Amino acid sequence: MAGEKGNQNENILESPVKFFQEGNSFLSKCKKPNFKEYMQIVRAVGIGFVAVGVIGYAIKLIHIPIRYVIV
Amino acid sequence: MAGFRLIDTVKPFLPFLPEVELPYEKLQFDDKVLYTVFIGLIYLFAQLPLAGIEKDIVPTINDPIYFLRGAFAAEPRSLLEFGIFPIFSTGLIMQLLAGLKVIKVNFKLQKDRELFQSFTKLMIFVQYFIFANVFILAGYYGTGLTIFQIAVLNFQLVGAGVVATLLVEIIDKGFGFTSGPMVINTIAIATNTIADIIGVSQIKIDDEGHTEAQGALINLVQGFRAKHKTILGSIVSAFNRDYLPNLTTAVIVLIIGAVVCYFQNFRVELPIRSTRARASNTVYPVRLLNVASLSLSFSYSLLFYIHMTAFALLTLVGKNDPSNIVCKILGHYENVNNILAVPTFPLSMFAPPRSFFGGLVQAPLSFVVFPAFIIVTGVWFAYKWQGISGQSARDLAVDFKEQGLTLAGRREQNVAKELDKPISLASATGAAVLAAIAIAGELLGLKGKATSMVIGICGGFSLLELITLDYQQNGSGSSLSQVLGAPTNM
Repeated sequence: MAGEKGNQNENILESPVKFFQEGNSFLSKCKKPNFKEYMQIVRAVGIGFVAVGVIGYAIKLIHIPIRYVIV
Repeated sequence: MAGFRLIDTVKPFLPFLPEVELPYEKLQFDDKVLYTVFIGLIYLFAQLPLAGIEKDIVPTINDPIYFLRGAFAAEPRSLLEFGIFPIFSTGLIMQLLAGLKVIKVNFKLQKDRELFQSFTKLMIFVQYFIFANVFILAGYYGTGLTIFQIAVLNFQLVGAGVVATLLVEIIDKGFGFTSGPMVINTIAIATNTIADIIGVSQIKIDDEGHTEAQGALINLVQGFRAKHKTILGSIVSAFNRDYLPNLTTAVIVLIIGAVVCYFQNFRVELPIRSTRARASNTVYPVRLLNVASLSLSFSYSLLFYIHMTAFALLTLVGKNDPSNIVCKILGHYENVNNILAVPTFPLSMFAPPRSFFGGLVQAPLSFVVFPAFIIVTGVWFAYKWQGISGQSARDLAVDFKEQGLTLAGRREQNVAKELDKPISLASATGAAVLAAIAIAGELLGLKGKATSMVIGICGGFSLLELITLDYQQNGSGSSLSQVLGAPTNM
């Protein structure tokens, strides 16, 4: 098992072209999200990202007065 | 020496290493959410400015790792100068070494697992100490520091490192979701992205005392009433200023985020059937990004070590003097905009260019070596990692057998072999795709923001996935259901 894995690994490193072809065919076989699913992901991740970012930035704003106090 | 194991060397230090206790009982969903969010916020708050150094120091050397900071939540000239880099990289590399059997650990033994964790922790503290002192000695915090100042700086930098390590450990030990570094990274990256776009803090940009807003969008609005510039000039500057985030990079970063979101749900569905019940065919999804952004983080960890070593050699041995022999071999640092220390050839080959067109002229080799490095290390890591992370084809085959499942149209004995091909291909391809997205952004001159965005979105997605899953399973009775809505299938 280990030997076989090592072999495949060498193949991947030695022949980038083959890896590229395999990867490409893998990508084309992939089930891709449709527009509705995609928008769902973007919305969910986006809302979470912005919400956390705004809270985080509010905390960082506290640093500005602190900077003047301790530095 | 027979029976010598690296992890045993930690034994004398065991009584001194702080440790987080495992939770006594399984935590409620609400508690886990709170722990996760608050640890991220505590981390952000801990990015306090350093005390004990001059306010307007003139450092002999500027920030040499500016393009690596985004990926590790590191804030320049703050307590968390190195962010979670030592935690992340040491954890990752130690697990990789243990998985590849370079370090002998028997994970079935409780004692060995504890020793392994303690050893990793000790390595983390040692690295915080080394990095802090390299920066201090190199003159990053100004020259002519007294011994007292050096001690205070050491105390702050290493102490903050210890606190960050423990914060990460709290999440890792089951108080929060996913892994500690991922939570902290995601929250810090989200914050930085928001700060780059709508940050309102005013930053001094020249000696005459003019200030500009940190956020690109705010800067554009402010530009209309700036007195020292024409309106057209300020609009142009809002899109291409080099010293602070500009609108062009903000837009590229958002595009990168959208592209990464698109790839998140790529999967190949293998038809499986039950060996017990007839006619119950389902599919098993193999996700393209099953290693997520770990591969990219691994490449950046290696880059960080390369640049840290080079920085130590160039500044401590070579004194950053172009005529010194070390600097002739490795290149030296040039000050840019008074904030960045940009390496010159040949070290520059391992750094992304600062701008696309400027880079093409000045450092054409960066456009070959840097991407090649990221892709090769990323794909190698993803390939190795999927084999040792507990989701390899062999583990999966065991799971399948327990649940009485098998691949449709294949012999039951060959399941592990048949699974191996799509899973390892998916990990390697996924790593290559993520690397390609990050590189495309980096070559456009994003100075690490592209990579951090890729890591941030991947982290955000897996957090969201896990929280949704947990919410569906034990979220009933959660007081957060008003906010999150009824449990739905995401």
